This record gives sequence, C-alpha cells and structure tokens, in this order.
Amino acid sequence: MRALPLSFVAAIAACGTAAVASDDLVGPSHPVRPAACVDVAADAPLQATIDEAEAGATLCLAPGRYPGPVVIRRPVTVWGPPEAIITSNGSGTTVRLVAARAELLGVTVDGSGGRYDKLDGAVLVAADDVVVEGVTIENAVYGLLVEKAHRVRIHGNHVRGGTDPSIGLRGDTVRLWETYDSEVSGNLIEDGRDMVVWYSRGNRVTGNLVRRGRYGTHFMYSHDSLVVGNRYLDVTVGVFVMYSHDVTLRRNVIANAAGAAGIAIGLKDSGTTTIIDNLLVHDQVGIYLDNTPQGPAATVAIRGNQLRLCRAALVFHASGHATTVSDNDFAGNDAHSRVDGGGDALDVTWSGNYFDDYTGYDLDDDGRGDVPYELRSFTHVLIDRHPNLAYFSGTPALAMTDAAARLDPLFQAKAVLIDHQPRMQPTASAAGHPER
Amino acid sequence: MRLPWTGLGWLTASLIVAACSGGKQASSGGGTGASATSVVELMKARGLSEADVTAALKTYTPTGKLDEYLTFASGGHSGQVIVIGVPSMRILKYIGVFTPEPWQGYGFDDQTKGLLASDSRGRNLTWADTHHPALSEQAGDYDGKFLFIGDKANARVAVIDLADFTTKQIVSSKLIGSDHGAAFVTPDTDYVIETTQYPTPFDGSFADPKTEYKAKYRGAAVFWRFDRAKGRIDRDASFAVEFPPYTQDLADAGKLASDGYAFFNSINTELSWGGNMEGNPPMESGSSQNDMDYLHVVNWRKAEELVKAGKFELISGMKVLRLDVAAAEGVLTFVPEPKSPHGVDVTPDGQDIVVGGKLDTHGTVYSFAKIKALIDAKQYAGKDDFGVPILDFKASIRGQVELGLGPLHTVYDNQGFAYTSMFLETVVAKWSLKDLKVVDKVSTHYNIGHLTAAEGDTVSPDGKYLIAMNKWALDRFSKVGPLLPQNFQLVDLNTPKMTVLYDLPIGLGEPHYAQMIKADKIKAVDVYKPGEDAVTSEISPNATEGGKERIERRPDGVHVYMTAIRSHFTPDVIRVKEGETVHVHLTNLEQAYDATHGFAINSYNINVSIEPGEQSDITFVADRSGVFPMYCTEFCSALHLEMAGYFLVEPK
Repeated sequence: MRALPLSFVAAIAACGTAAVASDDLVGPSHPVRPAACVDVAADAPLQATIDEAEAGATLCLAPGRYPGPVVIRRPVTVWGPPEAIITSNGSGTTVRLVAARAELLGVTVDGSGGRYDKLDGAVLVAADDVVVEGVTIENAVYGLLVEKAHRVRIHGNHVRGGTDPSIGLRGDTVRLWETYDSEVSGNLIEDGRDMVVWYSRGNRVTGNLVRRGRYGTHFMYSHDSLVVGNRYLDVTVGVFVMYSHDVTLRRNVIANAAGAAGIAIGLKDSGTTTIIDNLLVHDQVGIYLDNTPQGPAATVAIRGNQLRLCRAALVFHASGHATTVSDNDFAGNDAHSRVDGGGDALDVTWSGNYFDDYTGYDLDDDGRGDVPYELRSFTHVLIDRHPNLAYFSGTPALAMTDAAARLDPLFQAKAVLIDHQPRMQPTASAAGHPER
Repeated sequence: MRLPWTGLGWLTASLIVAACSGGKQASSGGGTGASATSVVELMKARGLSEADVTAALKTYTPTGKLDEYLTFASGGHSGQVIVIGVPSMRILKYIGVFTPEPWQGYGFDDQTKGLLASDSRGRNLTWADTHHPALSEQAGDYDGKFLFIGDKANARVAVIDLADFTTKQIVSSKLIGSDHGAAFVTPDTDYVIETTQYPTPFDGSFADPKTEYKAKYRGAAVFWRFDRAKGRIDRDASFAVEFPPYTQDLADAGKLASDGYAFFNSINTELSWGGNMEGNPPMESGSSQNDMDYLHVVNWRKAEELVKAGKFELISGMKVLRLDVAAAEGVLTFVPEPKSPHGVDVTPDGQDIVVGGKLDTHGTVYSFAKIKALIDAKQYAGKDDFGVPILDFKASIRGQVELGLGPLHTVYDNQGFAYTSMFLETVVAKWSLKDLKVVDKVSTHYNIGHLTAAEGDTVSPDGKYLIAMNKWALDRFSKVGPLLPQNFQLVDLNTPKMTVLYDLPIGLGEPHYAQMIKADKIKAVDVYKPGEDAVTSEISPNATEGGKERIERRPDGVHVYMTAIRSHFTPDVIRVKEGETVHVHLTNLEQAYDATHGFAINSYNINVSIEPGEQSDITFVADRSGVFPMYCTEFCSALHLEMAGYFLVEPK
C-alpha cells in the first residue's frame, strides 16, 4: 500500500466537523542556553570535564565534535547546540547517564556501536530523575534507552532511526525498560523500528510524532500508562498493548497503518483500556481487540473516536464482551466491524455511534435514528470464509449478493452488531485534536 | 482497481452451480426419490455455506476409506502420542508413552512397568509434558520406522516402534533437569537431540542461583546415539555438548547443505533466574531485557570426533564435551537472534535457518553458507563471558521477512513456500522463501502455537495439508466448563489461498508439535509373533503354547503359564494361598487380526491388554484372601462375557 502524504491525512481529518490540529504540538525543541554555565571548548576532553564538574554544575558545549563514549556519573547538566556533536567510536553506547538528576540537553549524538546483542545505543539512561531534552540522535542502532529508572523526562528530542534499509534491522528508537512515572513527550521519532515500554508502570507518552516505523508504541506488562495527543503515521502498528491494564489512549492520530498486519490500536490479553477521541484513518484495522478486556472487573471503553477509511474499523478476534462503543463515527470503512471466527459483537454495548451507511430515519428529530443500526451481513460470513472477497467489499457485486441472500436466504445473515441509538450525523468532533 | 461484475459473475455462477450440482447429485446418485434441491435444503437446514460444503467434500472420508496422511501429535500433559488421520481428522490412536494408559495395559504389566520405571529419576512419575515428536529419517526424509518424543518436565526421551506403535525405550540423563529442544533427529537418525530448557547444576547438586548461577548452572544438548538395527538408543555411545545457562529453547538438525550441524535457540542470555520476591525482576522481564539472544550453532560431527578422541568429561554418567573445549575447537558458535526467539527451522534444502521471534514482526532467515564461512575464517564479532565466539548478526543472515505479529514456528511445502505460525495475530502466514515476501494469511482460532504440514520439516515436503495447533478454543465448540480442549485446524494447501477445512478438538492434554507423514510409508504389523514381548520385540522366555499351560510352585512364588483364546483363559481358575507371590505369564494365542484380549482381576488393580500373539507378565502378592473374579476386558467374541474365571486366595 502506498504511503499517504500528511496533507492527505489532514484533508481526511478535515472531513470531520472541525479542522485538524496544527503540527506545532509535536516535534523537537531546542532548550535555551542555561544562564549560568561553564563553557567547554570543542577540543576539551569531555569525559574528564564531566568527571571533574561539581554536582549540580552545567556545562555548555561549544559547537564541534566530541569523541564518545561519554559516561555522566555525576548530577551535572550537559547542554549544547545541535552543532555540538558527541560521536561514537564505533562500539558500545555513546552517552550513558548513570547519575540521578543528570541532564543532557540540545546536543547531537551521532552513532553507536553495531552490536545488536549488546544493545549498542546512542543514549542510555540508567538513573532516576534524568532529563534528555532537545537532543538529536542519528546513525545509531538503538536510540534512547531507559532502564530501571524513575521520573525520567525524554522531551523534544529528534530520534532518527538506523540506516539499514530493512526495518527489522534497525533498533528501537525509544525503549523504556522497568521504568516508572516517566515521560516521553514532544519527540519527533522517525524511520526507526519500535518505541517499546516494557515491564514499566505509570508512564506518559504524549505529543510525539512517530512516523515510518514498525510499532509506534508497544506496551508490555506496563500498567497505568497514558498515551495522549500523539501522531503515528505510516507505521506498521500504531499502539499495541499486551498484558497491561489501565491504559488510556486519548486524542491520538493514527494514520496509514496500512500494511498486511496494519493495526492502529491493538489490545491483546489486556485489562481495562480507555480509547477516547482518537482519529484512526486509513488503517488496515482501526482497533483490534484480542481477548481484551480480561480480568474480573475489566472493561474497554471506545468513545468519541473517528474511524475512517479503514479496511476494518473495529475488529474483535473472538466475540466481544465488557466493551462499550459509544459516540464514535464510522465512515468510509470497508467494514465498520468484524468478528473473526464467526462470532459476534452483540454483547458489546453500542450506543450513539454514527455509521455512514445507516439508512434509518429520525421522525422525532432528536438526532438519533428511530430504528436500530444493525450490521447483519451475509457478505461478512462469506468474506470470513473467503478473505480474498474482501477485495470486492463495498462493490455492487457483494451488495447484490447481500440483497439476493435476503430474498432467498441460502445462508443465515448473521447479526454482528446492533446500535439501538445510532446518530444521524457525525459526532466525534474532538477526535485527534489537542486538549482544550 | 475493483472488478464488480467479475465478482458478481463469479458469485452468481457459483451459487447456481451449487444449487444445480446439488440437485443432480441427489437425483442421479441414489435414485432414492430425494427432491432435486435436497443438497441446497440440507445446506439451508444446517446453515451451511458453499465454502462449508466444499470443506466437507475435501475432508469427508467415507467408511472404509483410508486417510492419505497420518499425523503424530504430542499428547501434552497426558504423556502420550495422538495419531490422527488427514484429511479426515479422525483420531486413530493414543499411544501410551510416559504415563500409564489403561486401555493398552501400558504401565500395568511387568514389561511396561519396568519401562516406565527406567530412567524415571527414582520416582513413580505419573505424568509427562510431551512436546516434540520426531519421526525417524533416512537421508532427511521420514522413513516411517520409529518415532521419538521428549518429556519436557522430566527430561526424558522415548523410542516408539512404528511396526507396532508401542513404546520400546525411555531414556533420561541426570545431567539435565528439563528439556524443550527434544526430540529432533539428524538426517539419518544417527542421533536424537535433546536440549535443556531450564539450566541446573550438571551433577544434580544444590547451588544457590543468587551466587552460583553463572558458575554452576548449565544447559546441554544431549546427542542420544540411535542404533537402528536394534531399534534402541545406545546410552554408552551418546554424548552431550555443554552450553552456558542461557535457557536453551527449540532445536533443529541441519540437513543437506547444513548436514553435520545442529541449531538451538536461547532465550535468556541475561542469566535471569527469577527471584521476584528476592529483589529481582520477574523472570519474564529479566530474561527479555537484551534485544537479542544467541542462536547456538553446533558442529555435531566435530563434537562426535572429539568425544571419540576422549576429549570428554564423564558427568552424571554422560560423556560431556565441556564449554571450553567446544568453544576452542569450533564446535559451538553463537549468532545473535531477535528477542524471545522460539522456532528454529531449517529449510528443506538445508541452506537457510528460519528463526521466529515471538515479540518481533519479522522472521529472520540465516544463511548457513554465510555462517559457515565466518566460522571457517574465524571472523568473530566478539566472545561471550564463557569464551564462545559470536558472529556478526547482519553478516550471518540472508534477510528478514516482514511476517506480522508474533512469528513462532515455520514449516515448508514443495512449491518454495514457508508457513509460519503467528501467535499474536493468530494467523498462519504463507511466504516465499525466494524473495522473503508474504503472499497469504489465514486466520486461526485461537492463539496458534506450532503448526505442521505434510512432511513439512523434511528435505521433500508435500504441501497439501497443514494443521494449525491452537492453544485456545473459546467459542469453537459446545461449552464444557472452564477447561477447554485445544483446537487443531486443518488448513488446505491445495489452493493458492489457504482455507480452514476442519476443527478437531483435542480433549486430553495440550499438544505441542506434530508431524504428518504419508500413510503408506508406515508398515505396521497386524499381529505379534506368537509369544512376543512387545517391549523387547523378542519371543518371551515365558511364552506359553496352547496345551502347555501349567501352574508351577517355585521358591519365588506361584508361576501361572496361562493362555487366552476366544473364549477362555487356560487355566481359568488360579488357586493360591494368602501371602504368596503370583507370576501370571499370559500369552494371547490368537493370530487373527484385531482379536485382542484383556485380563483383569477384581480388587487387585490388575489390568493388561494382550494383542494377538502378545505375551505379558504380571507379578503381584496375593495379600488379600477371598474370591476374585477375573475376566477379559475386551469385547472379543459372542461369548466374551463367558471369558472369565476365578482367582481364589485361601486365607493363611
């Protein structure tokens, strides 16, 4: 599938009831030069300068190249303009921040070693309360790695993925491992493999632009996570949540997750998940629920999202349960919903959604259709058994077989979903927009 | 571009064809007066689609017709092997292997009790975790002679003879405590490979992982030497290669281009050992911190030479090639592999090795030629802490194939395609080995683990059929309580698009791998030679001919030389004194196909099955006086109920 230009995505979004947000929420920032700092000349021995700095000191690097690797073992701030470049010597990780409250601001980190099995990266954070902000990362196997740390702030960085043409051979751009109460915000992340948040808790992924990658953000065993206001464009999978609970996804835009395994938001074996006000457009699958929610009181809430131009907007891998789907817009999808394996989504609570193929009426003029919206499709059964027919979905051919089947129902037309209060007009106007 | 009218034409035509051909079949087939639309009406009544009917026609096997393939599936916790016909998906047999199985009397007579007690770690093991069956091979092709299978829980390997579908031998090495990479055979079945899963100290001693994990915990690949002429494993000619405690996983033997080598996955180069209440991260976190683990490449021919040259150490009764020797002599080399790898599957030509990483979206295709060249040139990227050389990842691979979510295991067909089970996506992905591109996917239900295709892991796969072995079955079958069956789904490979043809619930144990062999390769006997011991495959010294039945009293107890033939036991009354040891030597005199007898004694927990010709020994103490009916437990004839007698125990 060809990639969609951003402008096209914006145009699609504009089909909604309000204009799309501007891009200025996301992208790298350049921290201003701190007022009180110790100047470091380009030819100074950086490691020794850092080792000798007083706790709490700020070092300001002049433009130039600084040979790595560098280990920040003291609570100091290293600031530089993008032209201050810390370079890899071809092996290992280039900058390691192992002291609490250490900060790396504004510089460029160029390269890493090439050992995948050693996690050779540009920047490694392995201490609490560390800040990495406005840093440019390029030519590295792994980008920003955070391990066993609390309250880390990864903000406004520009992480450019590895150079290998095969995406599987690029490393992760950002990787949080056993990381708690930390923030990944406002970063521009492109051409890398995955952003992963594993065995972590209480983290916030907000306002990032992630484009051309594999997993936009992959959560595993990472509870109490917040994913807000991000853009995931041209990724294989936008956000994938595994074995995690209490994850909230709000006001994200996920567009063109359109490859063979493309999914905008996927939930596998996870607990309570909230999916609100997201704009999911031109994805192979909009939202994919596999054995989620699980847990005694776990629920999934899907509210106020726009699901547009997807092959299948909302897919249940088995019959749905403990899920509420309300006030979403389903428009231009080949299939608004699909349940694999011949099941249905009748135990799911559908309420107040807008479906562009709703043919009912609203005599009492309350904005809600007077007859239920039912997805009761013969073609659904057929496509489930003959997936190649999905190619024809939405065409007169399948529409006529639908009609023919109703006249002389050789096959049982199977109800997939029923919304008793469908909307007459689109409603999800906040989808994909910044918080107000 | 869409082709609506083509689609309409195709659909309409197929609907008409379905209706018309159904009518024709009904009227011309039997002339039973069935209405012209009976097939269509049947479809309507049962809610069947055209695709359902097609699937039925592809799998339905009328009475008396035989299946084209036999699938041997592990029986999981049952400790058994399940034999399934393909395409009918009829279960043909459960073979007792690691656990007692009453119908076959397996684990009830002296022979099979002895078999189960052999290498049972000094315990009466009543369960097993059977994982991977391996059919014997000649020149890399199944020969239909033997089957091997591993018990992960207790690190045992069993030998099953496919002449009579019974277990002949169980071996275990005290060197290792569990296995997962078992069983896999080398191309001529010279060796049966068994690889550790969870590392433990080699000598069975105690060592605290907190302080001694790296120093004392070890994994190993055991190469069990198979003596084809004897049909048994030769323990003394077997050896093991020591591995670091990286928690080795699945294995595969090289073939053709890679013959002489074997490949093993590992999942824990982090050396995590758990301790989540001792201040450590949980095992699953600790063991997946590194982005890559190590594919172990073992030159087993070289290892065999070194062992023959005496460069081994005898540990827990096993000849072990130690790590330093293996590393120094080029026997063991590592290649990085993507996180949480699972299957390692050599392609039919032996040139590539496909590794699926559970948490990856790509399958990695390693080039054996590249690996070999790097090893030969000693061109290493580094060494691990144990001194084992590591090759460069990129320099070792042919490429990666973007498969989707959660690739696990890969099998092959005869058209150059590979089929990979995708756990997270729960699909089978079909992809081209040549250009590493996915061409088709089929949805499976649910959570596919292994998959197997017709001879799909040999040098000459057949294509045709594939079975997706699904771990979950939540809405596939009628509800049977919280413990659900597994679901085997038969997938048609005869058409370019894969389709699911049939669901077979497996209601006992959790199968792992299975292998599918052309049914006509198996030449099973119909009956045993008169007096044959099914475990030794020899005529038993206790075999009894008709007319020579007798009861002998000897110092070690009462010996009853008994025969069974429709419809009586001879003798049919056994008289002993309370406290005497009883030895029943029972021979089935039948030579008629399918004329099996059982023999049971009330209250004594005596139950054996004797197939035609089979001889069975039963030893027990008559510790309770009284009158105990004994009878045949197989419905063998019209006078089956009369095939009975008494076991009389006089009080002291």
